Parts: sequence; structure tokens; C-alpha cells
Amino acid sequence: MAEPMELLCWGGDWDLPSVHTDSLIVLAYAKFSGAKLAVKSIDWTWRTITASVPQLHYEASTVTEPTQILNFLRKQRFNADYELTAKQGADTMAYIALLEEKLRPALLHTFWVDADNYANLTRPWFTSHSPFPLNFFVPGRQASLALSRILLTKAESPLLNITEVEGKIYSEAKECLNLLSHRLGNFHFFFGDTPTSLDAFVFGHIAPLIKAPLPSGQLQKHLNQLDNLCQFCNTILKNYFNASAEKRTDCSPTAIHDPVDANLQKLTQLVNKESNLIEKMDDNLRSSPQHRPNSTPPS
Amino acid sequence: MSLAAEAFVSQIAEDQILLSDSASSLAVQTFLRMCGLPVQVSCCANAEYMSPSGKVPFIHVGNQVVSELGPIVQFIKAKGHSLSDGLDDVQRAEMKAYMELVNNMLLTAELYIQWCDDYTATEISRPRYSSPYSWPLNHILAYQKQWEVRRKMNAIGWSGKNLEQVYEDVSQCCQALSQRLGTQPYFFNKQPTELDALVFGHLFTILTTQLTNDELAEKVKSYTNLLSFCHRIEQTYFKEHDRESQSGSSRHSKGSLP
Repeated sequence: MAEPMELLCWGGDWDLPSVHTDSLIVLAYAKFSGAKLAVKSIDWTWRTITASVPQLHYEASTVTEPTQILNFLRKQRFNADYELTAKQGADTMAYIALLEEKLRPALLHTFWVDADNYANLTRPWFTSHSPFPLNFFVPGRQASLALSRILLTKAESPLLNITEVEGKIYSEAKECLNLLSHRLGNFHFFFGDTPTSLDAFVFGHIAPLIKAPLPSGQLQKHLNQLDNLCQFCNTILKNYFNASAEKRTDCSPTAIHDPVDANLQKLTQLVNKESNLIEKMDDNLRSSPQHRPNSTPPS
Repeated sequence: MSLAAEAFVSQIAEDQILLSDSASSLAVQTFLRMCGLPVQVSCCANAEYMSPSGKVPFIHVGNQVVSELGPIVQFIKAKGHSLSDGLDDVQRAEMKAYMELVNNMLLTAELYIQWCDDYTATEISRPRYSSPYSWPLNHILAYQKQWEVRRKMNAIGWSGKNLEQVYEDVSQCCQALSQRLGTQPYFFNKQPTELDALVFGHLFTILTTQLTNDELAEKVKSYTNLLSFCHRIEQTYFKEHDRESQSGSSRHSKGSLP
């Protein structure tokens, strides 16, 4: 009998089956179309640096890239887009292009280029999920790939500096999220009541943004204001990724406390910053020439 | 400030211009004509360097310079002319999405074919791009541009594709556009919008530019409603200038649509 298809992807965290956008797209599509995949996470293996993830293995053939993998699954008769009209199929292609052009640069920036997020969230996560000695290389390599992608596609002269591009890419990303929210409206999914490949793509892009505990996330704040997109994401997690849903139902009462928590978080961050500053000042004072507590005074 | 003053569309000179730049330039010209604004096209060899963002085409209105279709549309809107006012939010989202599709697929494919395909690059792109300059500047600039484009292709993951796959992508993109257009005269029924201008710019240029082989044009020609869409726009907006501006904008073109 045919072996099950094997998917290599990054592991999961923060209530998500995977923290990597492209892997999430494939996982979501597989659930929507009913394809049974044997999911193997590449965490703590050498594949973190050798493999281009996600990767689908089936009967000696290997497929990479979400679009190619989705095409392959369709050929194997796992088609979630079966009921779409021709026009809806065309719309799918257009919206996916919109996501790639407008949202992905800002996502890459939020996770890999923004100093705060990278140092406090992304790098520790990927370092802790890579084997020694790759944990020194993997996050750095991903970060430089992300930066070069942003600069090459978005930073035309005179915007040669990353800080100048930031404003542009974040405003485009916010506009993109607004457009998606308008398009989704009050429906459960983008094309009626059953999810399709467009839903998989949108889910893959916005789920990490919603769920990751980002220290500095202006895009995340903007996304949290778009209720229908958050609802969309949670619906998919609840209905198709049940294991994480169980964990979530235990903490659903926190939904009400979110505004309070957000304020508390802000306050805590401010206090932390203040104490860091005070520590620095203290260090400066201690190392200044006038104050030597341990050395003998010159006589 | 009213737009009674003429807008100058600056682009690269006819002998030098390449497929992708010609397409963008035609898109802007079409958009301005659709708004009913008087347009004059002026070509110069260093247009790329004159532009504020490094990209052609750019328009020159009074003492303001704006480049690329997106900012130009916004600029024209601020002056009170807009083609997409009648669209509701969902339609506007669709229009932006389709414009990104054209930029993502068609423009990238054009750049790939021009610069990453060795045969086309050697026969057509490099000679044309470097034609106004003398040795050794022509070699340096041409190779620099090619290297830049290849780096970009690498960053977005297109460098692993071969020519067949790129043609396939163009075909899928045209199929999506064809299905969206259906039997309507324009993409959003009766009124043309910037999406129509952009699609026309790219498709018309692909159809009328002679490359090393005709495969790209053949892919587009297989969608009859797109062909008739291009005819219609050409008839409606370009008929008064007719052969003059069309044959001027691409010296190596085959003429108007078959």
C-alpha cells in the first residue's frame, strides 16, 4: 500500500502546530483537504540548516515551497478548492500575490529584523530548537536572508536604509490586513463555509503574528483590532488543530482580562526599562574614576 | 493646482528601453489618458537616474516629480481625478490584489526573461541597455544591472526556476486575469480603473515586442478575451495618436496588434 506522505517542518509553540509561516500553510491545507500527513519536525536535527522547509516526501519524490506542495497535493486528489468557481480561483491567486508582496516583508521584519523581537523571542526560540553547534548559525542565517529579501525588494534608492523602509513596509502591511478584513467580512472563511487554499495562506501568515508573544509588535496590535481576522484564526485552530484547542479552552477566560493584561504588560515593560536604565547609571557611577570602593585611596 | 499643465511622462529612449520598463511606462500613459489628462512623453537616456525612486516612468507636473504607478495614482487622486471612486471596499481590495498579482507575476517574469535568461540577455537586453554609452561604461552598466536583477530574483526565490516554469507562471497569471475579466468590457464592469491600465500596459507590450522567441506572446494570445480587451483599449484611448506614439515607443516592435 502507499506510504503516507511525510512532511518536514519546524516545530510548534505558542498554541500553533508550527511557528513557521510556510509550514503552517501546508499543515492547514492538509487538514482542510483531508490529506493524511506524517509530520516530522526538524527541530534538534541537522536538517535545520540543510533542509529547505517545508518539504514533502512521497515515494522518492521531494517537493518544496508551499505553492508547489499544494499543487502536488491537488494532483494526489486532495483538493480543497474543488468547489471554487473560475473567478474565485483567479481571486485566490490575486490575494496570495497581495499577501506575498505586502504582508510578508513586514512579517519578516517583525520577527527577524526588529532588534527587540529578534533578541528576545525569535533568536532564543530558534537557538533552543537547533542542535549544537548549529544553534550559533541557524538564527543568524535566517535573519540575514530576511533582511536581504526586504532590502532587495522594497528598498529602492533613495530608501537604502532599513529604517526608512520600515515605515513603508509597515504601512503597506496594515493596509493589506485592512483589505483582508474587508474581504472576509462576517464570513467564517474567504469563500463561503468551507476553507480553501486562500484560507490556508492567510492563516499561515497571520497566525504567528497573533499568537507569538512579541515584545514590540505594532503590527500585532493593529491585527488584534481586526476582530474578524482573529476570529478566523481561532476558528481554524479550534476546528482543525484540536490538540492546541484543548489547551486554549482552559485559558479562554483570559479573553476578558486581555485589555487589563495589556496595560499591565506595558507597565511592566516600562518599569523594566526604568530599572535597566538605573542599573546602567549605577554601573557607570561605580566604574567612574571618582568612586573606587575597593581600591585603597592614594596616599 | 489644476492639472491643466501637461504631464510629461519621462521614460528611457526608444532604442534603449526594455520590455519591463516599456510596459510600466505604457501603463502610466494609459492611466493618464483614461483620466482624460493631456500627456506628453519625453524620452531620455538617463531617465532612470532622474527619477526620485530610481524607477521609470515618472511624471513631471509643474514642479513636482512622481514616479511609479502606485504613487502616481495617489498623486492624481489628490488632484481630484480618480478612476476607482465608484468601487466599494471589497472591490477595492480585489483591485489591489489583482494589481499585485500582475506586478508579482508578469513584471517579475518579464525581468527574469530579460536578464536571467542568458540568450535574451546577451542578444537583446545588454546591447539595448548600454546603447547610449561608450566603452567601457556600457559593459559595466549592463553587467551591473544584470547582477542587480539576478540578486533580486535570488531573494524572492525565482532563481531556481527555469524558463519553462516562468512561461507556465505567466500562463497561469493570464488565465486568472482572463477568468476575472470574463465577458465584461473592463475588469470592474463599465468603468476602466488603474487595474485595466496596468494590465493593458503589460499585455500590449508583451504582444508587440519582439524577443528571441515568440513563446511569451503566444501564451497571452491564447486568451481571446484578453486580446479583445487590449484591442478595445487601444482603439478607445490611443486611436488619435495611432501609429505615431505606438511605433515610437518600441522601435523593435512588430507594429500594432495582429
